[in-house]
Amino acid sequence: MVFSTVLTSVPNLYLTRKPKDIHIPIRCLSSPSVSISSQSNLTQFDLKAYWAILYAEITQKLEEAIPVKYPDQIYEAMRYSVLAKGAKRAPPVMCVAAYEIFGDNRLAAFPTACALEMVHAASLIHDDLPCMDDAPERRGQPSNHKVFGDDMAILAGDALFPLGFHHIVMHTPPELVPESRLLHVIAEIARTVGSSGMAAGQFLDLKGGNTVDFIQEKKYGAMGECSAVCGGLLAGARDDEIERLRRYGRAVGVLYEVVNDVLLSKLTEKEGTEGQEKKGKGYVSLYGIEKSMEIIEELRSKAKNELDGFEKYGDRVVPLYSFIDYAINRGFNVSDLSQ
Amino acid sequence: MDNDDLRRGKPTNHKVFGEDIDVLAGDALLDFAFEHVAVSIVGVTPGRIVRAIGELAKSIGAEGLVTGQVMDINSEGLTDVGLDYLEFIHVHKTAALLEAAVVLEAILRVDVLDDILDVTKSSKELGKTAGKDLLADKVTYPKLIGIEKSKEFAEKLRSDSLELLQGFDSEKAAPLIALANYIAYRQN
Repeated sequence: MVFSTVLTSVPNLYLTRKPKDIHIPIRCLSSPSVSISSQSNLTQFDLKAYWAILYAEITQKLEEAIPVKYPDQIYEAMRYSVLAKGAKRAPPVMCVAAYEIFGDNRLAAFPTACALEMVHAASLIHDDLPCMDDAPERRGQPSNHKVFGDDMAILAGDALFPLGFHHIVMHTPPELVPESRLLHVIAEIARTVGSSGMAAGQFLDLKGGNTVDFIQEKKYGAMGECSAVCGGLLAGARDDEIERLRRYGRAVGVLYEVVNDVLLSKLTEKEGTEGQEKKGKGYVSLYGIEKSMEIIEELRSKAKNELDGFEKYGDRVVPLYSFIDYAINRGFNVSDLSQ
Repeated sequence: MDNDDLRRGKPTNHKVFGEDIDVLAGDALLDFAFEHVAVSIVGVTPGRIVRAIGELAKSIGAEGLVTGQVMDINSEGLTDVGLDYLEFIHVHKTAALLEAAVVLEAILRVDVLDDILDVTKSSKELGKTAGKDLLADKVTYPKLIGIEKSKEFAEKLRSDSLELLQGFDSEKAAPLIALANYIAYRQN
C-alpha cells in the first residue's frame, strides 16, 4: 500500500501534543483519486479561516447566553466550562456546516449550534467527576469540579442541559425554522445525550469490558452524528439526506478520536514518558498501531463516501470534506483561533 | 449532595446503583423528559409544544430547580438564614416545577378549548373566523369525541389544575387559579 504523506496548503500550526515530525500517513482527500474540480476546491478551501469566523460568532453568542446572575457561583461554573479557551467548538461548527449544504441563512442554525456546545460541555463536566472518569484536567485547565467542587460541577451540568433546549426555543427564528422541525432537533439532541446515546457510552466506559468500538461510537461518534443531523434537520433536508449526515457525522467523530489515540501513543513513545494513559481502553492499547491505522483509513473512506452522495450540492459540501482531512492531519491548532 | 439514604420510602438511587450510575441516570431521565415531550404529545400544535419545552427547560435549569439546590447547599451550616432566604430556596427548588406543571397544562389545554370555541361561537364573538376547523376538516377534539365530551374534558383539565393548586396559600396561588378559570371560561 502506498500512501502519500499529508500536507495541506494552510499555514501549519501544530497541536501542542503533536510535534512536527509525527505524521499519520493516510491518503488525504486532496489527492489524485478525487475528481479534479472538487480536489482544487478542497485544497483552496481555508478551513482555518472558516472555523475562526464561526468560532468567534459562537463564542460571542455563548457569552451572551450565560450572563452571571444571583447566585453567582452556578453561572460562573457554567461559564467556566462552556467558555474554556481550549474548547474547539467542533459540534457547533459541524452543525452550521451541515446546515449550509441545504440552507442559506446560518442564523437559523446558531441557536442550535450553541445548544450543542452547552450540552457537550455539560456531558464533559459530568464525565470528569471523581465518581466517573475522575479527570483532573480538561481543555488545558483544571476540571470544573476541581475549581468549584463536586456539587457545583454536578449542578452546572444539570443546568446546562436544559439551558441548551431553552436557548433553541427562545432564539431560533420561527420564520426560518418551522416549529415542527424544531421539535425533531430537540428530540435528536435529547436522544443523543440520554439513555440511548452518550450516557449509555459513558456507562459502558465505566463498567469496562472489551467493547471499545461501541463506547467510542456512543461517546464521540454520537456528538458528531447529532451535530450533523441537527444541521440537516434545521435546513429541512430529506430523510435519506439526514441519514447520510448521520453516518458521516458518526464516522468523523470516531475518526477524530482514533487519531487522537494514535497521536498520543506516538508522542508517548517518542518522549518515552507515561503520557495520559486512557486506562488501556483506547484503540491503540486494544488493537495496536497498525490495526488502528487501518481503522482510520476505513473511517476516512466511509465518511468520504457518505459525502459523495451530496454531489449535487457542489461546493457546499467542501467544509464537511475538509473536516475529514483535519481529523487526520490537524493542520492547525484550533485553540489558537481564540486569540 | 444531601447524602441521603432514603427517598420516597426506598433507598436512594446512589445507594443501590452507585454514584456514577446515579449521575448518568439523572442525565438520561432529564433528557428523556424532553424527548418524550417533543415526540409523544398528540393533538397539540407544534408551536405550543415548543413553548411547553421552553417552560419546562426554564423551570429545571439555573433559573429554577438548580438555583434552589445551589441555595440549599449554600445554606448548610449558616446560622442566620432568614425567611426571605428560605422562601427563595423553596420558590426555586419546589415551586418552580409545580408552576411549570400548571403552566404546561394551560399551554397545552388551550388547544382543546380553541377547538370547542371554533365550533360553537360566531366569528364576532371569537374575533377570528368561526367554523374554519370543520371546513378545513382538521382533526380536533369536537370532531374526535363530540362537543359534549370535549367540554367535559376541558372541565376535567380545569379542575385538575385547581387541585394541583390546593396546597398553596390561596392569596399567592390566586393568579394561577384565575388563569385556569379564565382559560376554561373564556369566550374567545
